[in-house]
Amino acid sequence: MNTSRRKILQFMGGSAVGALFTPVPWRLITDAALWSENWPGVPVPVRGESRTGFTNCSLCTAGCAVRARLIGEQPVALAGVPGHPVSRGALCPFGLTGHHLPYHPARVKSGPVKEAWAAVADAIAKGDRIAVLDLRPGRTASWTYRRAMAAIRNGAYIVPPRPLGPATAVNLAAAKTVLSFGAPLLEGWGTPGNVIALRDGFRLIQVDAVESRTAALADLWVAINPGTETELALGISNVLSGGASGINPARAASATGVSEQQIAELARELTGNGPAVVLDAAGSSAVLALNTLIGAPGRTLVTRRETPVPEAWKKAAPATELAEIPERSVRVLLIDESAPGEYIPWGEIRKKLAANPVVIAFAWSRAGYGRYAQYVLPAAVYPETLEDIPPAIDAVAPVFRMTVPLQAPPAGMVNPGEFIATATGLPRGDALRERSDAIHKSGRGALAAMPDGKLTPVKEMKPEDLWKALNAGGYWMDTPDEKAAPPRLALAGPEAGPVEAASFPLVAILTEARGSAAPASPLMSKLYQESNLRLGPGRAALHPATAKAYGIEEGARATLETAQGRRDIFVILDSAVPPGSVKVASGPGVLDICATGERARVVPA
Amino acid sequence: MTSFKPSGNFVFLAGMLIALGAGWVGFPYAIYRTRPQPVNFSHKVHAEKAGTKCEDCHAFREDGTYAGLPTLDKCSACHAAPMGTTAAEKAFIEQYVTPNREPRWASYARQPENVYFSHVTHVKTAGMKCETCHGNTGATDSLRPYQEDRISGYSRDIWGRPLANAAFRSEGGMRMDDCVACHRRQGLEHSCLDCHK
Repeated sequence: MNTSRRKILQFMGGSAVGALFTPVPWRLITDAALWSENWPGVPVPVRGESRTGFTNCSLCTAGCAVRARLIGEQPVALAGVPGHPVSRGALCPFGLTGHHLPYHPARVKSGPVKEAWAAVADAIAKGDRIAVLDLRPGRTASWTYRRAMAAIRNGAYIVPPRPLGPATAVNLAAAKTVLSFGAPLLEGWGTPGNVIALRDGFRLIQVDAVESRTAALADLWVAINPGTETELALGISNVLSGGASGINPARAASATGVSEQQIAELARELTGNGPAVVLDAAGSSAVLALNTLIGAPGRTLVTRRETPVPEAWKKAAPATELAEIPERSVRVLLIDESAPGEYIPWGEIRKKLAANPVVIAFAWSRAGYGRYAQYVLPAAVYPETLEDIPPAIDAVAPVFRMTVPLQAPPAGMVNPGEFIATATGLPRGDALRERSDAIHKSGRGALAAMPDGKLTPVKEMKPEDLWKALNAGGYWMDTPDEKAAPPRLALAGPEAGPVEAASFPLVAILTEARGSAAPASPLMSKLYQESNLRLGPGRAALHPATAKAYGIEEGARATLETAQGRRDIFVILDSAVPPGSVKVASGPGVLDICATGERARVVPA
Repeated sequence: MTSFKPSGNFVFLAGMLIALGAGWVGFPYAIYRTRPQPVNFSHKVHAEKAGTKCEDCHAFREDGTYAGLPTLDKCSACHAAPMGTTAAEKAFIEQYVTPNREPRWASYARQPENVYFSHVTHVKTAGMKCETCHGNTGATDSLRPYQEDRISGYSRDIWGRPLANAAFRSEGGMRMDDCVACHRRQGLEHSCLDCHK
């Protein structure tokens, strides 16, 4: 038999057709897919007997109690603690997937520690202005920073803006009406377990341009034109003050799309069904000022006492808001973004830096200020960290709980508190233990111990027992200070006027108005994105009609532009986004150029 | 002698038949890696002579979690010295009990890391019998070889439709299709995330 090229091709053709009728190609495709789901790069939990550990989630200030299932020294599943007196078993998707974070692909694993150390030492020796920007004030580490900055010649301790004041808490238990301007009250605001427990006690009116999950679950959703929250607040203010302040309701109605009658009705509800409180996701002064008009301070807005600290700590640098720092004055800026907190746009920080500044970021990834810092020092990430969590906005009394490590951090991680304390010559000590002892010395409050949340008065405990219980996930809580003076709202002047609409015809709506650089499990994000529950990073949603007007199609690449800058985005279409607006996934890169209500435009790539 | 000159159709058909044969007969063997279990264990002997029940060895811990395969401690409690004179018993004592070395059992039913399966939910809450998923494993006189997919690494028992290989028959229903079918019958088919994590 002669073997020709034609014959070989005929044989191969026959084989290929035959193979299609066998399991071979289909099984190989399936197996390759299965292999890719379990390929060697995916962290695999060790096998073995499980045990239970407890901690408190530090991904936000809610500090929800966490029950962890551990195999060896590795957490493999996290859940809430049902008997907990404050978090009441709640744990959000971020918290449930927190144990993925040590394996996040964006994690910083090493950094120029020696060089950063030398830069700080040099600045201290020269007496240059050194500042610590603490994105999560109120922790024991925050007191370390304040003490460290007081110990050097020219130190400053900087905190993000606090429009409600430094120690103001929202007393939801006392509120009968809550008027929320975009605050995600039912989807992660404050302490979710506490909010849900109190939900039946107040009427929730949600002002939102989009039907958020909170809006959908509210008693009343007031749909307004995007970016007109201030106008609505000023219209309500005008009704409440009898025309003495704010803007004419007719003008407010025209701008917001909310009728004059409804504006008057909202004002009536705030006064007639009180006590009431007004919340704002963006922290706008015009909105929060309504609280003063309805008498919220002292009733639904209360002053929370400081959690006890050792007397020796009180000689510390004051907490200064960024706006109060003189421009071009800071030579060395140390930014602690190891614990998720509020993100301040880089443009506002840059104004405060002197010529040739040194910026050092303690961070888990380079996605935040690491993009601008000369030195990015790797920090441990939850659940590897040991630190306390400041009180949430709805905690009316002082609290103290710690996130205790469920697993050891990798080698080379830098503890920001230790770094700054050592650099500035603070005496070595265990600040958390000292804080625990100060709480014990005060004799105030009670400790909810894990696993059942049983309360034991501190007076009945020994200092060692309190410390031990706190290290086992315990939660210390005090009683509210009934004699405390009502808080004074630190409201700024009127906000900057709107940018000209012709250049930037769209209004930006951010998914998180004052979003933080909180890490999220990449696996959770993947699931949320695939199910369209959460806009993924770098994505923006437009109404189909808006997209058509600008010639943008589903899945197109485009540029989001504002007066502050531009950013590449990936566009999806969503008919739930109001026409004339663009809904943008929040994140450090977006927050640098854009805030909710900001004018923007989307330009096709 | 005249040389054989096959037509184009014949060559095409020959290629097709060879591929079909290789795909349906050879491939089902080639795709799996086979390895014997470390010990020739008889569930039947233990059930009938020793009177043990499934949960005596495959126990739940005090906290409700499932301990899975028994460790050597459990075996040694009875087999500290040989129980009988069989070669398998002698080998077990010499190779594992005396040197205190854990047998490396290959679990037919072990699910991959992207699947969460709770024995407590199925056995304690739903009251299912072990045989529902594990078939008659508890009555077998020897352990069949463990077969693992060479690419995915999955046990042959847990994933994929049976290929055309009559020599192998899964003992029970531990494949994803079996899980889905049962959940569907019970009206408990809620989401992929019920089982996949």
